[in-house]
Amino acid sequence: MLEVPDVGDLRTAGGLMLAAALVLPALPGHPSLLCPLRTVTGVPCPLCGMTTSVEATMHLRFGDAVAATPAGIVAVLVALVLLIWRPKAIRVPLGLVFAVLALMWSFQLHRFGYL
Amino acid sequence: MRDPSDYGSWSPPPEGRGPSGPRASFGLRLGAALIDGIILNVVGFVVQSLLGQYLGYVLTLAVNFGYFGYFEGGPAGQTIGKLALGIRTVRQDTGGPLGWGTALLRNLCRIISALPCLLGYFWMLWDPEKMTWHDKLSQTVVVPVAAMPPPPNSFGQPPAS
Repeated sequence: MLEVPDVGDLRTAGGLMLAAALVLPALPGHPSLLCPLRTVTGVPCPLCGMTTSVEATMHLRFGDAVAATPAGIVAVLVALVLLIWRPKAIRVPLGLVFAVLALMWSFQLHRFGYL
Repeated sequence: MRDPSDYGSWSPPPEGRGPSGPRASFGLRLGAALIDGIILNVVGFVVQSLLGQYLGYVLTLAVNFGYFGYFEGGPAGQTIGKLALGIRTVRQDTGGPLGWGTALLRNLCRIISALPCLLGYFWMLWDPEKMTWHDKLSQTVVVPVAAMPPPPNSFGQPPAS
């Protein structure tokens, strides 16, 4: 079982993620956030597409978001739940974490033509 | 705080118990890092425009590690950013100051934390001890000053070792 030690911290991080997604397109040089891992090895990691997807979700471009990774929409929903409902404790089974990461990775490997 | 009777043999903490001691929040640590980052970037920019790219870069690197080694290794365990936001870095086992060696190690390990898209930094969001990778590798923790105050007038004092 994975227990979040301080839900307030996660809420801060979630809020920052949403704010960053809103202002990101206004920053100079956007989109130039190339992933070093994928640039060097060509292989995407499970989190590939998250920046694109979260940004697209916050600007209501859901098609673009799903094309990059559906997990971005989930991340935005989780952040909204953290900010609005303010849960006191969060426990996630470790198996679920790994299962989701495996799903996310197979999505990316498929997206880049490895699967 | 962890019950002293727990120290004999290690066992995972029961659910819902949280870290074994006081810990600074993610937001305060991020804020302190931003303040230090701005200070060091301004200094680095001036140094590099005065000394040129190559020598300027080497000196900027030295200034960066010197800054963290001196301030974070000192008895307060506080950089300017941490002083401003009321948090400090201490040894995990004793709660004492880091000294030059541990402070330098800690800040070298920040590179490792930053490499996989800052995953080592975000690690504290779900780590039971609320520690980043560089905390773990250097066996240090960041605590609120309110819970573990530094010695009086210790900010800016040189590291003991």
